[in-house]
Amino acid sequence: MQIREVVSEALKEKYYEIEHSSGLRIFVWPKEGYNSTYAVFGTPFGSICNNFIANGENITVPDGIAHYLEHKLFESEEGDAFTLYASTGANANAYTSFEKTCYLFSCTEQFERCLEILLGFVSSPYFTDETVAKEQGIIGQEIRMYEDSPEWRVMFNMLRAMYVNHPVRIDIAGTVETIAQITPEKLYTCYNSYYNLNNMALTVVGNVTLEQVTSICDRLLKPSDKVNVETIFPEEPYEVSKHYVEQKLSVTMPIFNLGFKCKADAPLTEEQIAYTDILLFLLASSTSPMYRELLDKGYINASFSYDQFTGPGFYSIFFSGDSREPKKVEEFIKNYICKLREEGISEEDFENARRATYGDALSSFNSVETIANLMEDMYFSGRDIFTYYNAIASATREDIERRLHEILDINNTTLSVIVGE
Amino acid sequence: MNTVDRREIAKGVNFTAVADSRFKTMNICATALVPLNKDTVSTYALLTQVLSRSCAQYPDFTALSRKLSALYGASLTAGVRKLGESLALTFSISGIDDSFALTKESISEELSQLLCSVIFEPFFTDGAFDTNEVEQERRQLIDTVDSEVNDKRAYVNTRLIEIMCADEPYGVRRCGTAQSIRAVTGEDLITAWKNMLHSATFEIFYVGQSCADTARNVFTEKFSSLERDLFELSTVIVPRAASVLEHTECMEVAQSKLMLGYRSEEAGEDKGVTAVRLMCAILGGSANSKLFKNVREKQSLCYYCVSRFHRAKGIMTIESGVESASIDKAKKGIQAELDAIRQGDVTEDEIRFAKLSVINDFISLYDTIGGIREWYLSQLGYSSIQSLEECIADFESITKEEIVEAANKMSLDTVYVLTSK
Repeated sequence: MQIREVVSEALKEKYYEIEHSSGLRIFVWPKEGYNSTYAVFGTPFGSICNNFIANGENITVPDGIAHYLEHKLFESEEGDAFTLYASTGANANAYTSFEKTCYLFSCTEQFERCLEILLGFVSSPYFTDETVAKEQGIIGQEIRMYEDSPEWRVMFNMLRAMYVNHPVRIDIAGTVETIAQITPEKLYTCYNSYYNLNNMALTVVGNVTLEQVTSICDRLLKPSDKVNVETIFPEEPYEVSKHYVEQKLSVTMPIFNLGFKCKADAPLTEEQIAYTDILLFLLASSTSPMYRELLDKGYINASFSYDQFTGPGFYSIFFSGDSREPKKVEEFIKNYICKLREEGISEEDFENARRATYGDALSSFNSVETIANLMEDMYFSGRDIFTYYNAIASATREDIERRLHEILDINNTTLSVIVGE
Repeated sequence: MNTVDRREIAKGVNFTAVADSRFKTMNICATALVPLNKDTVSTYALLTQVLSRSCAQYPDFTALSRKLSALYGASLTAGVRKLGESLALTFSISGIDDSFALTKESISEELSQLLCSVIFEPFFTDGAFDTNEVEQERRQLIDTVDSEVNDKRAYVNTRLIEIMCADEPYGVRRCGTAQSIRAVTGEDLITAWKNMLHSATFEIFYVGQSCADTARNVFTEKFSSLERDLFELSTVIVPRAASVLEHTECMEVAQSKLMLGYRSEEAGEDKGVTAVRLMCAILGGSANSKLFKNVREKQSLCYYCVSRFHRAKGIMTIESGVESASIDKAKKGIQAELDAIRQGDVTEDEIRFAKLSVINDFISLYDTIGGIREWYLSQLGYSSIQSLEECIADFESITKEEIVEAANKMSLDTVYVLTSK
C-alpha cells in the first residue's frame, strides 16, 4: 500500500492518496472541526459506456443500463442497502452520470459501519428476473419525470443535435423501450467488466482519519484480478450535426441552451479548464458588456449561465437560461466573441475575472460534499484539484487571450430551445 | 468550533455573529420580516430586486457587478420567501475570508459596507427609484414568476398551498402574480422601502472566521438614526380541515403529480410540534420511510413520494410523481401509510431510525454556512432559539404514543392533481 500526502499551503488543505493493495485508489481528506463525513465510491461506468471490449470480447448493451445497474445494486438477497444504513442515521444515495456511477453516504456517527455497508453492497451484485422487472416501473417514472423537465430536455436535445455518433447524445436513463431489453445477464456482464477495484476510486472527506479508512479497506477489500475493459467510442466528426433544435413543452417561460462544440481529441489539462473558466467569466458574467446589453434589451435575465462540459471524447461550452429571444442571444454572444478577439482583453477585466474565478474555486473547499464529488471527478478525468486551483491563481492575461483563440468556434454551434405549447 | 454572539442592536433588530474557523468564506445575511398579504407581496418582491441591483455608491448594475468581482467574486443576492404568514426579504452577501486575499485587503469590511449601502442608501434619481432600473427588474421578476411553471415539482407545491389556503395569507405566492407585479408603482416601492426600514423585524447573521465587530458597528450606526415602530407578525393556524377539497388541473405532462395537504393542529412552538416533525419523518422523510418503502419500492407506484411539515403554518404536504393510471391507487396507498401510524403500526426500529436520520441531518446542517444560518432563520419569531443540543434532546424524548397521537391529529384538507387531459 502506497500512501502519499498532498498539501496545498495556499489553501491550507491536505489530503492523502492511497494506492491500496486491493487495487482501489483511495482519497482521504480530513476536515478539522467538521461533524459529518461524506464518502463516495465510484466506477468509470456511465451512460456513454454502451459499447466496450472486456477481456477481448466486444459487447454492446442497451441504453440506460449503467443507471439501471445503479438502482439494482442497492438490492441484495437479504434486502436493500437503505435498510442496512437505517441504524446509522446516514443519508445515502447514488448517481449515474455520462462517464461514471457513484455511490455515496453522509453520516455524523458510526462512520466505520457506514463504510462497511458501502463497500459491502457495491461489491455484492444480486440481479434476478424478478428484481429487474420491478425496477421497470420506477425507472419508467423517473424517465417520465425528466421528459417534463425543460432544463433536462433543453440540454439533451442540444446534445442529440450536436453529436452525430458519440453516446453522450443518449439520455442517461435510456428510454422505456431500451430499458425493457435489460436482463440480469447483461447487468452481470457490465458489473463484471467495470466494477473492479482496479478501476474504481473511494473518496472520504470530513470527520475522518486516514487510519479509519485504511483499516476498514485492509479488512474488507481483497485484491482482484484486473479486468481489461476499454470503452469504444465511434468516430465523431468535429462539426455539429444540426445548428438548431426546438421542442414544445408546457412552459410559460421559454429556455435555451447554446452549445459550442470543441475539439476533444485529448483530455483537458487543469490549465485549459482553469483558463476557460476565467475566460467564460470575462465573456458572460454579469460584469460583461455583452451581459449588460442582453439584459437591457430584455433578451436574458438573472438565470443566464455558462458551463464547460467535458468527458471522454466530448467537449463543449454551454450558455443557457430563460429567454424569449434565444436567436438574438446567440447572435450577441457570437458577435461579442469576435469583438473580444479583435480588440483583446484589458488587464483590468482579466484581473477581475481571475479573482472571481479564484474566489469561486476557494468556496468549494467549504463543503465536504463538493470536495468529495470533485475529487472523484478529477481522478477519473486524470486531473488534480490543487493543480487546477494553482492554474487559476497564476494565470496571465496572455493565457486567457490564447484560450479565446483556441475554443468557441462560432460556426460550430447548436442552439436548443424549449417553447410553450 | 464556533461561538455564537447574539445581540439586539436596535429595536426589533438582532445581530447574530457566528465565529466559525472552518470556512474559507464569510456571509452576511440581513432578513427583514413584514406581514405577508396579497396587496403588498409583489411590491416587496420587486423592492428586493431593485435594491440589490445598484446603490448610491455604485449606481449602475455593471459597476456594482465589477466591484463584487474585484472582491474575489463576492456575490450579492436578494429575494423573498415565506416564513409562516410573514414575508422574509433577504439580502445576502458572501465573499472569501480576509486571510485568502492575494493582497492585504479586508474583504469582510468592504462587503458589510456594500450590504448596508444596498439596504440603506439606494440609487435614487430625483428622490425616487430610477424608472429604467425598476422596469428592468419588473421584467425579470415577471420572468421568474413565469418560469415557476416550468419546474413542475415546484409548481404543484405552490398550487397546493394556493388552493388549500385560498382564504389565508399563506396561500399568497411569494412574489405575487405577473398581474400584481405589473401594477406596482414607484410610490409603492418608496413606501415599502420606508416601511421595511421603520417597521420590519430584522435578523442579521454573520458567519465566518473574521471578526464581526465592523459589520455589527456598521449596521448599528445605520439603524441608530431610524425611528422604529414594529409590524405585528403572526400566523393564523387552522387546526382541522372542515372538509376535503379535490382539485384537478390539466396540462400536457408526461408524469402526473399527486399532492395531499393536511392540517396538523400543532404548529410553531406548540408542545406537540416535535412529535409531528418526527411522525412526518417516519411517514415520508427518508429512504427508510413508510412512503418510500411501501408506496415507491414495494408497490412501484411512483418515482418519488415524500412528506414535508410546514412547521410555521401547521400543515403537512405529501408529494409524489406518478403514472396517471396509478393516481387513485397511489392516493389510497399514501393514506394507508398514514392510517397505519394512526393505528399504532409503527415499530421501535422505525422510530429509532427516524430519530437517527433527523438528527444526522441537523448535525450535518451545521457543517455549512447556509445550514447554520437556516438553523436560526427557521426559528425566527419564536420566543427563544433552540440550540442544536436542545433540539436533539427534544427529538430523542419523543415516544410512540406521541407519534401516534400526532398522526391522529392530521386531517386531510386538499387533494391536488396535475395530469394530462
